[in-house]
Amino acid sequence: MAHDTAHTDVIPEEGHLHHTDYMDSHDGEAWGGGKRPFKASYGKLMMWYFLLSDAFTFAGFLIAYGAIRFSMPSWPVPDHVFSAFPGGKTGWPLIFVTVMTFVLILSSVTMVRAVQEGHRRNKRGVIFWMLLTVIGGAAFLGCQAWEWNTMINVEGVTVTKNPFSSHLDSGTYLTGAEIEGAGYDKVTKDAHGVTATYYIKPGVEDIEENRLFVKQDHHGHVMSGESFSPKDPYLITYNHSTHLYEPSAFKTPDGSIKTEAFGPIAFGSLFFFITGFHGFHVFSGVLFLLIILINVASGLYHNRTNNYEMVEKIGLYWHFVDLVWVFVFLVFYLL
Amino acid sequence: MSDLSYEESKKVVYKGMIVLAVITLLEVAVALVGKGYVIEGLHLPVWLMYVLMIGLSLFKAYYIVYEFMHMKYEVKGLAMSVILPMGLLVWAVVAFFSEGNSWNQRRTLIEKKNAETIDDRPKKSGSIIDLKDVKNLN
Amino acid sequence: MSVVNYDEDVLIKEQGFDDHFHDHHHGDKYQSGFITKYIFSQDHKMIAKQFLITGMMWAIIGAGMSIIFRLQLGFPEDSLAWLKPLLGKWITVNDAGIGTLAPEFYYALVTMHGTILVFFVLTAGLSGTFSNLLIPLQVGARDMASPLLNMLSYWFFFTAGIIMFCSLFLSTGPFAGGWTAYPPLSALPQASDGSGAGMTMWVASLVLFVVSVLLGGINYITTVLNLRTKGMTMWRMPLTIWAFLITAILGLLSFPVLVSALFLVMFDRGLGTSFFLSEIFIGGEALNHVGGSPVLYQHLFWFLGHPEVYIIILPAMGLTSEVLSVHARKPIFGYKAMVFSILAIAFLSFIVWAHHMFMSGVNPFISNFFVIFTLIIAVPSAVKVFNWIATLYGGNIRFVSAMLFAIGFVSLFISGGLTGIFLGNAAIDIQMHDTYFVVAHFHIVMGIAAFFGMFAGIYHWFPKMYGRFMNETLGRIHFWGTMIGAYAIFWPMHYLGMAGVPRRYYRFDNFDTFSHFGQMNQFITIAAIIVFFLQILFVVNFFVSIWKGKRVATKNPWGATTLEWTTPIDGIHGNWPGNIPAVHRWAYDYGKDGVEFIPQIVPLTEKEKENAEDLH
Repeated sequence: MAHDTAHTDVIPEEGHLHHTDYMDSHDGEAWGGGKRPFKASYGKLMMWYFLLSDAFTFAGFLIAYGAIRFSMPSWPVPDHVFSAFPGGKTGWPLIFVTVMTFVLILSSVTMVRAVQEGHRRNKRGVIFWMLLTVIGGAAFLGCQAWEWNTMINVEGVTVTKNPFSSHLDSGTYLTGAEIEGAGYDKVTKDAHGVTATYYIKPGVEDIEENRLFVKQDHHGHVMSGESFSPKDPYLITYNHSTHLYEPSAFKTPDGSIKTEAFGPIAFGSLFFFITGFHGFHVFSGVLFLLIILINVASGLYHNRTNNYEMVEKIGLYWHFVDLVWVFVFLVFYLL
Repeated sequence: MSDLSYEESKKVVYKGMIVLAVITLLEVAVALVGKGYVIEGLHLPVWLMYVLMIGLSLFKAYYIVYEFMHMKYEVKGLAMSVILPMGLLVWAVVAFFSEGNSWNQRRTLIEKKNAETIDDRPKKSGSIIDLKDVKNLN
Repeated sequence: MSVVNYDEDVLIKEQGFDDHFHDHHHGDKYQSGFITKYIFSQDHKMIAKQFLITGMMWAIIGAGMSIIFRLQLGFPEDSLAWLKPLLGKWITVNDAGIGTLAPEFYYALVTMHGTILVFFVLTAGLSGTFSNLLIPLQVGARDMASPLLNMLSYWFFFTAGIIMFCSLFLSTGPFAGGWTAYPPLSALPQASDGSGAGMTMWVASLVLFVVSVLLGGINYITTVLNLRTKGMTMWRMPLTIWAFLITAILGLLSFPVLVSALFLVMFDRGLGTSFFLSEIFIGGEALNHVGGSPVLYQHLFWFLGHPEVYIIILPAMGLTSEVLSVHARKPIFGYKAMVFSILAIAFLSFIVWAHHMFMSGVNPFISNFFVIFTLIIAVPSAVKVFNWIATLYGGNIRFVSAMLFAIGFVSLFISGGLTGIFLGNAAIDIQMHDTYFVVAHFHIVMGIAAFFGMFAGIYHWFPKMYGRFMNETLGRIHFWGTMIGAYAIFWPMHYLGMAGVPRRYYRFDNFDTFSHFGQMNQFITIAAIIVFFLQILFVVNFFVSIWKGKRVATKNPWGATTLEWTTPIDGIHGNWPGNIPAVHRWAYDYGKDGVEFIPQIVPLTEKEKENAEDLH
């Protein structure tokens, strides 16, 4: 079995000078000269160093994410945010993103298989496994599209808005009567053709930010009387019939009445930016995979005697995308 | 490159798949069990969850680089030339995060001080009472 | 002192090895036509010349800008109406015929001066030129690992330059928020004139520039690590190659973080996110931004910005080390210490970035660490300075232009480095921050010093590039004028800075505190103008010498040991006509055993072999 990939490009590519053909033609010590010190072709080395620099780009983003998150007094709780599943399911924390992660791992596995088939110069095998990898990548992108759509259109998280957050102190949700008892006026008003009920302090302008609502969950169940502790998650419910965000009223242990506020907008902007940047890598990876797949099918790499090194190089890139996802998954979904 | 035969390396891949899948499941399990979703009333300490999840993720990263990306089979110099520079990020992580933390503390402090000023002014300064404050006190 | 007799052709034929290069590239179609030879060339030597000449053009533009704003600072009362044909609407001429420079354009000039000099001249023009020229020649490779990506690296740089150049002609002017592009001036398009289209083009240009740096850097690293010739171990590489390798690694690791910051800025500008913006009023209007931190941008920027300083200075250090050793006819003192100090500087450069931000509101606790790390840089820097001086000591020095500039580099590096120790202390920085003391410090230590390294390199390797010498008399006039002139410009600035004169101000004569510095500012301006014209003299010397310079008679005019001097005088594609030379010794065998110099291709003598064995 010809497993040694150290023998590479003998057939010159257009526009390239080829050093490779002399590199292995000499015997000698590990670095007596005439041999590549790293026993890898220049193409593979360049791919590694490109990935190293790309890792620093992602590191820049993720470290900025960390700094911003540390600077916020409260932060959305991921398993509260990411709990939807296709088919209208809710309350399934992290299940969908686990599926996404599996898809990406599987496509990494098929990629390794494609590289292995390349080493034994099995063209049909390479095509088969690369095709599966492309399907895996496309499936991941599809999942991401669904997730983004849910986040934006169902949950209401955008780059400038975030209804999710977590409580800073403990408290108890109030009933309408308790809010009125604390000196607020009850207002029943037609908003967007639907009747909305909320409470407002006398003499204060009746605008969205000043309104208090009785806490309801997604399904419209009243939650007054329930208490919570610091760090517990909440969601400012978007009322689809009134088109209003409903900041709910609660009472803190010292007796003051507070409302739930919008969460840090950095959450949404960082989420869409970083997962988007990762998704862009997946997308371009799928494109490169397709181009190389076509080249494999045309027999281009079969004629080179380098055991399909191009497949190996795109494989490195593809695993890197998986590698980045490990950290995106960690910081956005787990921590 | 690896000295493994085709059949052996195939086995390694499927083993890798299982390892990564299990670790991912473990991570999610830690996140969900730790927050009491699975067993009512059971919560893990936050620090333990963080250590577990970060540790498992780092292992996953190591596994992808060393097995799937074949770093294990490369010359040590090549491996080090890629891995060692990542160490430069350690201090960056420490410094950036502690900076973020200090912005948070300062904002909180400023908010606290702002609140104090409004409450304390009439009491502390005694005679000097702004008309605006009188209105607010009512 | 005896001379070793050797014949490169015979040595390379017998000792070198045959890579069948010329069998594959017979007749070489890649550089046959005009376009493939001079424009879209993939030959590293041509790409080096392209980087150098483009860098020189940008240097003239950038330095010209500094002359305009120096005129404003030195002679704020005098008319600049004569610049109207060049600057158009940015000069307003009043009824009395007095022309004044628009303050917004003053800021644009300062910003562009910084951006152009730091990125286009001292990064691309310096490491782009000499990494390309010297890496394949000195490690014994036919070309870069990927000549195609190498060509693209230049053309990305060129495109970045075109975009930046176009931004100069925007009706709102180019970006004017300082070369560091701090938010909110960079993150809010409405913040100032240049923050709109000017900033967009600035970002576009810099992103393309980073692509160029990465394509180049990946190539340099791969070539040095994987394409060295037979016998060229890491510890036999000339210090130039070490410097270029580490420079490329610094660029590879730090520029991506700049890209991260620039992408986030673009989101803040275009999509209303608040990564770098918190609550802010502009023109009496409260914006929606909330919760971000402008200091975060500064952290990300300086995570690039500080290694960038070493991306600029390390190649100059490498060139200086080589030139000093060749022209002192002595081996470089402490070769391994030089390498380790480069490595130490490179490592430290990644952990000290916040010393640029002591006054930006960085947590004072974390500042302590940054102060300590920063001051440690003095150690490897001092090692290098000591070794350069020790190399000179007792040398048989040839005071040619290249050598003069190399010695000048050491002088400037010392003077500029010492003030760095002041500024690295957070407590002293409270007084010094953003004053002319800082301007003086970094211009001497990484501006002028890097230029001196570059000049040393150009005078030294000009015979390799063009097969001719540059005019020596003009070279010496250039050196002495620039050396004295540079100190005349920047020495007084230390006093201005210690008196608290802030940088980036449009004029000082209406501040009582600073108005008595008027004459000093005039002096600086006059010195700057003289130095500027001396550089024009250099440019003239450069271009005239390409065609009219004295021809080089032998392959190795300087009597140097390194491999580039074994190639034909008129460089050929593939560098060596036959075999690739094999290397038998390190790059600094000067004056060994009474022999003036022994090139790297000369095999060890029996005696040397015995000595080598004794060591083991």
